Amino acid sequence: MIPNVAVLEIESRHFHMPRLWIPLILLWIPLILVFLLISPVLFIVICAMSMATGVGPFRVVRIFWDILSSLRGTDVRVTSNGNKVLVRLL
Amino acid sequence: MNENRRQILEMLAAGKITANEAEQLIAALEPNSTAPAGEFAGRTAGSNGWPNSEKDAPVKTRLKYLRVLVESTEKGGPTTVNVRVPMQLLRAGVRLASLIPQQAHDELDATLSKHGVPLTLSQIKPENLEELIDHLEDLSVDVDAKDEKAKVRVFCE
Repeated sequence: MIPNVAVLEIESRHFHMPRLWIPLILLWIPLILVFLLISPVLFIVICAMSMATGVGPFRVVRIFWDILSSLRGTDVRVTSNGNKVLVRLL
Repeated sequence: MNENRRQILEMLAAGKITANEAEQLIAALEPNSTAPAGEFAGRTAGSNGWPNSEKDAPVKTRLKYLRVLVESTEKGGPTTVNVRVPMQLLRAGVRLASLIPQQAHDELDATLSKHGVPLTLSQIKPENLEELIDHLEDLSVDVDAKDEKAKVRVFCE
């Protein structure tokens, strides 16, 4: 399943942003519309990739979908010199 | 009876596998089993070789995340990196590598070899993927560079 929420927090010595819970579902809906609009171009790109790599077009789509779906659970936290960044995909 | 189950029982009857191994294989066939398909999951068995109660729970659960922890002390202050990557993303990443053209694979392999990393990326194929991930689950790397004052830990959880 694709990630539905992103959690973002940025903190530095002089600046503190409260933890943001970004509902990605609001991003996916307009993205679907964009994908529909650019689908002819996407089709050509996917076909070109398939011809270049010898991998079927459906497999190409499946691989990219798998990557998107598997992003759920990713957690990155970096702290350095009093600066802090947190990114989580739920 | 399920065909796979029948084959396991036939192998058991023929003495090709032990009762313990048959139990583990049958457990791996169960849809809600946590055991990865195609390997013995280290499930404990009762005295008769078959699971007999709730205490016969799987010993080895499938690990979900690869964790990378880096701690270093620099002049400005300590730096900590804590990354948790889903194993599923690694699987998808290896599949993505199959989209890389052969020419790019060759160039990449040559460059890696030149820099002392004798890795043939084209040998990492989707069919070898599960084996690779299974071995990653046993991975634990601890690097403690005292001169650099850095500590790196890579493990699965």
